[in-house]
Amino acid sequence: MTTKLTRSLIYWALLSPLMVVILFPFGVMFVTAVRPREELFVYPPTWGFSEFRWENFSEMWVKTNFGGALLNSLYVSVAATVVALVLSIPAAYAMSRYRFAGKGAYRTFLLMTQMMSPIVLVLGLFRLMMSLGLVNDLNSLVLTYAAFNMAFTIWMLQSYFNSIPRDLEEAAWMDGASHLTSLVRIFLPLAVPAMVVTAIFTFINSWNEFVLALTMMRSSEDFTLPVQIYAQVAGRYQVEWHHVMAATVLATVPVAIMFSWLQRYLIRGMALGAVK
Amino acid sequence: MSSVTIRGVKKKYGAMAVLHGIDLEIRDREFVVLVGPSGCGKSTLLRMIAGLESISSGDILIGDRVVNDVPAKARDIAMVFQNYALYPHMSVYENMSFSLRLKRMAKEMIDRKVREAAEILNLSTYLERSPRQLSGGQRQRVAMGRALVRDAQVFLFDEPLSNLDAKLRVVMRTEIKALHQRLQTTSVYVTHDQIEAMTMADRIVVMNAGKIEQIGTPLELYDTPANLFVADFIGSPSMNFLRGTLEPGAVVLADGSRVPVETTGRGAAGQKVVFGIRPEHLSLSSDGTGLAAEVEVVEPTGANIQVYARVAGMPLCAVFTERHDFRPGQTIHLAWPGRNAHLFDAASGQRL
Amino acid sequence: MANRIQKSVPMMMILPGLALAIAIIGYPIFDLGWTSMHDVSRFGKLTGFNGGENFAEVFVDPLFWESLWRTGIWTVAVVGGTLAISMPVAMILNDDFHGRGVARVIIMLPWAISLTMTAVVWRWALNGRAGLLNATLMNAGIIDQPIEWLATASTAFVVEILVGILVSIPFTTTILLGGLSSMPQDAYEAAVVDGASGWHQFRYITLPLMKPFINIAIVLNVIYVFNSLPIIWVMTEGGPANGTDILVTYLYKLAFRFGQLGKAAAISLVMFFVLLAFTMLYVALVSRNDRDDAAPEEEVKE
Repeated sequence: MTTKLTRSLIYWALLSPLMVVILFPFGVMFVTAVRPREELFVYPPTWGFSEFRWENFSEMWVKTNFGGALLNSLYVSVAATVVALVLSIPAAYAMSRYRFAGKGAYRTFLLMTQMMSPIVLVLGLFRLMMSLGLVNDLNSLVLTYAAFNMAFTIWMLQSYFNSIPRDLEEAAWMDGASHLTSLVRIFLPLAVPAMVVTAIFTFINSWNEFVLALTMMRSSEDFTLPVQIYAQVAGRYQVEWHHVMAATVLATVPVAIMFSWLQRYLIRGMALGAVK
Repeated sequence: MSSVTIRGVKKKYGAMAVLHGIDLEIRDREFVVLVGPSGCGKSTLLRMIAGLESISSGDILIGDRVVNDVPAKARDIAMVFQNYALYPHMSVYENMSFSLRLKRMAKEMIDRKVREAAEILNLSTYLERSPRQLSGGQRQRVAMGRALVRDAQVFLFDEPLSNLDAKLRVVMRTEIKALHQRLQTTSVYVTHDQIEAMTMADRIVVMNAGKIEQIGTPLELYDTPANLFVADFIGSPSMNFLRGTLEPGAVVLADGSRVPVETTGRGAAGQKVVFGIRPEHLSLSSDGTGLAAEVEVVEPTGANIQVYARVAGMPLCAVFTERHDFRPGQTIHLAWPGRNAHLFDAASGQRL
Repeated sequence: MANRIQKSVPMMMILPGLALAIAIIGYPIFDLGWTSMHDVSRFGKLTGFNGGENFAEVFVDPLFWESLWRTGIWTVAVVGGTLAISMPVAMILNDDFHGRGVARVIIMLPWAISLTMTAVVWRWALNGRAGLLNATLMNAGIIDQPIEWLATASTAFVVEILVGILVSIPFTTTILLGGLSSMPQDAYEAAVVDGASGWHQFRYITLPLMKPFINIAIVLNVIYVFNSLPIIWVMTEGGPANGTDILVTYLYKLAFRFGQLGKAAAISLVMFFVLLAFTMLYVALVSRNDRDDAAPEEEVKE
């Protein structure tokens, strides 16, 4: 047992510099978010502050239109997740259960789309949305996020679907179930955990996206959270850093908690599908 | 209950043929076992009867209805899968009643049938458990129960015992056989284990490389195997084969020793043949005559002794129920009753 | 006939998603190609075919070449640094020790947070006057004057690279962990019996078996880092004086600040082909791994 203890100590010692650097921005965020405005720019700079100013959060909420951006982000992320999943579930099912002509080509196509980043296509996308009249319309983000996430969701779902034994469905057919019945009563209930995990990752991806939101949303009432926060910082002579950090805390912490809870599924999913 | 007829059935995956034309008549109430090495097409054939694989050509009939284009759900067949395929999100009760609920049978009726089946299978106290709380043997029983409640025309079994340990396998083997004697449902059972086939079947179908090698009752296959493949596959330890040349009254081995055998009406002199004798049919000749064999390894199992020896450079195994104190290197002389000797053509492998 | 309907079922299932992907990802590529060969007004109107003029303009633009060069440094430094840190981290996390769960969560944390937010926080933490990095370093006595980290291009770029490494570690570690956890345990036991030291085990078992995973981690990271806008954009917007511009930031400025749409489209297309090359490499790697899966045991034994 002592060997495990020594090993643990050595490992923690090795990891600690990295952990300090990882946790540093979180410290900065909290400490800034709760300090009084007057203490932002003191010399010499210091971590200490005189009191917890929780009102920063409520002030920030009103002044930066946080609520509006929050609703926009929620709408875009939820809708994009729903669209991506509705389109991905049948595709992943087909990939997992059928042989069909062009399957290999489709697989390659998915890999390619997964690699295509929005930034390279951003000009073309902007012109496309322009011609569709969707600039300044949150639905443009819904469509693009869904499209860019689909390769990942199909892949993730497929690798989980593969782990659901095919003979369960066959047993249901033998029991007199139609394909649809076996899908609804046997397959889908078993696939729910996979779908939930995939949905949450898609949600987080959409929630965090910046470039497309910055490009497509030209008026401030349509901003999503990352753009809204960026707008508080960029090109301003005076930045209200305590508000910015308060907003970052609110936008980040729930997602970080959700992610921490789910990261082991991601590791498993990638081990099952994306990498192998 | 119903007969199953298979007429000239072939299966191809693209250019690769898996079944080369199977003809088989399974009678009403019969228990037929399809047996063969892995890859011989036995599971494919079973899945074609079930409706889980399409038929490339030929016909499959259940009763007198051609079911080629009838989907699995409408064939009224129950199947027990190798990995049981229990629905993990349903309780034992829900697993067993699933098919009846799909048929919208009345609640009380379902309840009666499930409890009846559970009674037969000793599952009554487990009905509310979920499959993952059960042992392997219990899961196996639930899979059977799911088939049992159906009153299906035909039962199909796809290597149902292969995931159980050796002891439980023997117990379940007997249970399935007893169940069939009681219910008399036409059954098709796939296995690669010849002992399972021998102990359970009314008739055995030995398959190899997509073809049927022989169909017969267990004792027919044991006593008169149609060819070398069947002779080798049925029986444990396997039949001994000695290659040689046929002469009147004997097979002459490579070293010139003569194995006496009845040759009238069996091949021509000078023909290359294979002489076959089962290990358990060999005995020590009391007078020092008979086939000389050099002992290499002796394996006592308690109930009997298995002796591995060499005859004219060829391996040979003998099983004795009485105890002997053989030593490696020792020469023993073996005899056998003439009716137990088998003779096969070396080129075609067919029985002579 | 029933057969034909059955055959079309999987097609019907993939078609809706495929259609969306082609519309949103395929069409813009085509449009970029078309736009790159035209004169374009500030407002996106194509005003006439000009052949390769946009491309010619790009290739004589010194800022393009500087950005390209910097993109190379950025990509190599971030990917290299990430891998150098992630490999030992993954090996530690793959071993059993007290508090491994917590360590794993902390290491993965940067992945959860949008690059934009991370960059915003760092921009503040690096603030020349009141940034808490200066506070920390001054408290520790490492520096006695605050440093204007983002005011000069050279320090700003280095800092951005370090942040880039930090945010790439979780993803890379995850891939490597996936590889490590699939490592055959008996190979190590056999090696120990054969008298292999820890270093030998790493050199002759871990590294060769990890190679496919390391390759994929490199290629995926190259693609992601090459394309990464938010860190540099939020922290310095490519400034000061274009000193931290990489291709994506330069492209974004051209398109949405300066309205040089034809030129921006030409750069997009150049980037697209670079990306395509890397993607092909990735596809080849993935499909090779699929094939290799069949017989990995043979190689382990020597």
